[in-house]
Amino acid sequence: MTSPDSDQARRTGARERGAAARRRLDTTPARVWLLTTVCAVAIAGLFGSAALTLGQARDGLDVLGRDGPQAEATTELYLALADMDARVADMLLMGTAHDLGSGREEVQKQYEASRTQAGKALLQVASLIEGDYVEKCKDVEECNVRAVLAGMGAYEEWAAEALLLNDEAQAPPGRVDREALETYLRATRLMHTELLPKAFNLGLDSSASVRANHEERQEAVTIGLLWVGAAGAVTVAALVGLQMYLRARFRRRFNASLTAATAGAVLLTAGVVLALVTSNGHQHDAKEEGLDAAMSLSRAGAITTDMQVYESRYLVDPANADNYQQVYLGWAQQVLSRPANNLEAYYEAVDEVAASYPDLPGPDRPDPDDPDPGTLGYLGRSAQEALLPGQGDALAEVLGSYNDLQGEDRALRSAAGSGDLAGALDIRMRVAHIEDGTFRTYETALDELIGLHMDAFEEGIERGDAVLAPWTWTLPVGTLLLLVLVVLGVRPRLAEYR
Amino acid sequence: MRSRHRRITAAALAAVAVLGLPACSTVLGEQESLADATSLTVGVKTDQPGLGLEDENGDITGFDVDVALYIADRLGVSAEDVEFTGVTSANREQKLIEGDVDMVVATYSITPARKTQVTFGGPYYVAKQDVLVRAEDSGIRGVHDLEGLRVCQGEGSNSAARITEGLGISVRKTEAPSYSACIEDLREGRVDAVSTDNLILAGFLAEDPSSFHLVDEPFTDEKYGVGLPRGDIRGCEAVNDAISRMYQSGRAGELLDTWFGEAELKLVKSVPQFEGCV
Repeated sequence: MTSPDSDQARRTGARERGAAARRRLDTTPARVWLLTTVCAVAIAGLFGSAALTLGQARDGLDVLGRDGPQAEATTELYLALADMDARVADMLLMGTAHDLGSGREEVQKQYEASRTQAGKALLQVASLIEGDYVEKCKDVEECNVRAVLAGMGAYEEWAAEALLLNDEAQAPPGRVDREALETYLRATRLMHTELLPKAFNLGLDSSASVRANHEERQEAVTIGLLWVGAAGAVTVAALVGLQMYLRARFRRRFNASLTAATAGAVLLTAGVVLALVTSNGHQHDAKEEGLDAAMSLSRAGAITTDMQVYESRYLVDPANADNYQQVYLGWAQQVLSRPANNLEAYYEAVDEVAASYPDLPGPDRPDPDDPDPGTLGYLGRSAQEALLPGQGDALAEVLGSYNDLQGEDRALRSAAGSGDLAGALDIRMRVAHIEDGTFRTYETALDELIGLHMDAFEEGIERGDAVLAPWTWTLPVGTLLLLVLVVLGVRPRLAEYR
Repeated sequence: MRSRHRRITAAALAAVAVLGLPACSTVLGEQESLADATSLTVGVKTDQPGLGLEDENGDITGFDVDVALYIADRLGVSAEDVEFTGVTSANREQKLIEGDVDMVVATYSITPARKTQVTFGGPYYVAKQDVLVRAEDSGIRGVHDLEGLRVCQGEGSNSAARITEGLGISVRKTEAPSYSACIEDLREGRVDAVSTDNLILAGFLAEDPSSFHLVDEPFTDEKYGVGLPRGDIRGCEAVNDAISRMYQSGRAGELLDTWFGEAELKLVKSVPQFEGCV
């Protein structure tokens, strides 16, 4: 039980304590202390938000710099798988003529090299999934990897069996043994319905997660920017408040240290904001002009490799030649697109593109009233957006060699159409020649162009890092300087009360 | 003095505002995406049996409708929040661009030209152009056997040109207002064959299996995509994820069997190669 008296005493005590505190705050030194503390807290807030956001920006660059090239490498899987299938088709075409083109032995070696490459690429893709890659579609990707792994085994078995049957039947060049063909068709159907689509989609998945990661981090940095700006404004306001109070109270016109601190806070805030905006810009360029462009060109390479399969299958399996020819045209339109209803028109159109580059046929931007949508597809878009130094020449090489590839394809189909199977075979072997075939030339030109974009990617990341790097020491030193200036500004005034 | 400080403060705030603005607008102006939708209006065909067909009660059913429902479900939109509305080949782009529909699942082939106006998820199926003939015409075993015969195409379609120009086979092209009308002409003997995507033909065949015969010698690839407003990359990736799951879970196979199982048609029940969202 508490007596009314003690209650009363406690209330009085509390009131007195409150009054004492108010009295203490009413004194000038207390107010100076309070305002100084507010300034110090604001400066600390500026430091904290800036350090955090700079850290996020650095992380964003690191993650993009690490994941980007890995995502780019996922197209390797598709490329290697398609190459395996093209090599098997070519070996079947050779039949007993083991000395055609690069020679059976070399092609076999290339097949095995591609198989090893596919295995490696698959392991790499698998490791991407098990790592800290997107959680969201984990099982979709995992299932795809498992399916490709299982399918590869089945494909290899059928491919080996088809080759064995063809060898046993002593099939002459260009006339694949019927049983061997049936087995090969099973293999290549498996490749095209089960393996290649999943491999391609895995590549798209990794692009998607790189994009999502990149955007998420850029957003975080943008929000951080607003915090830095706000903290900077609060700091400046607090410093100005302190300055005004000192001026009114001590009748001094001007506190040099505090003015310097205010200017410093403005500079620090503006500097950090500028660095973040610039670095974000470099990161954005690295992603769009570097990585995205490289990825889309890698896909062009992967699809063109698969077109090799369809070119070869056109000769291997004449019964389904119509379908193979149409699919070839469909894929070609994905690589470089011009309005064309058939291959003849397409060859002409590609020739026109290669000849007129750097000008491109058709409108630059699609116009609803113009039936010509312009030059599109992976290569067409790359040509429209060509911005990097040296890109023009590299792209001209790519378009030229792609046109050569179509020229050979035209000659091949025309030879096959007129019954000159030996001539068609010669062309196919020339295109597929491992050292200096038309396709190899195209691949080399494309790799060069992809290399330019990947260089631009790395450069963008480096530039972004370079902009942020000085702030690792500028920020703490600047913050410390601000604090010192504030102390220098208020100390003489407080000293007057000692 | 006071005004000087104000100037500094104002300058600092202005600097922050100006520098922060471009970056800020990317956050504030973040694009609306299908991935965040809580309800959906989906454009489907209404005159294609098996794919999208409107009955007398106004209900639309078919493979495309079921695919759209599956995708919506994966996006977190339940079936009652999905509204279907009819689109035609001629007005699909416009409806999507004007925002009348959020998504188009309507035997919508992905082409490079269309990709300049629409972002495509999928394809969710790769159909192939094929030929439908009367059941008794067993002599027609492939597209080359159509030489000199009467082939019907729906108005606005390009299917006959793929035979004449694409393959260099000269056929006598006739045109009817729609593929349903072509099918009637075929039944009545006014034309010898109807050629378009095998899924569309299989849908008609399923309605009257005894009258027709599907040649099953496909000669082109038609990649059926999910049309989205151009630039909705996040939505497109979410749609692709849904389609992958539809195949992995076996649901796609079930749906294909449900709608086209009757036709003598090689159905591909594994996930197609996607087009890519950018």
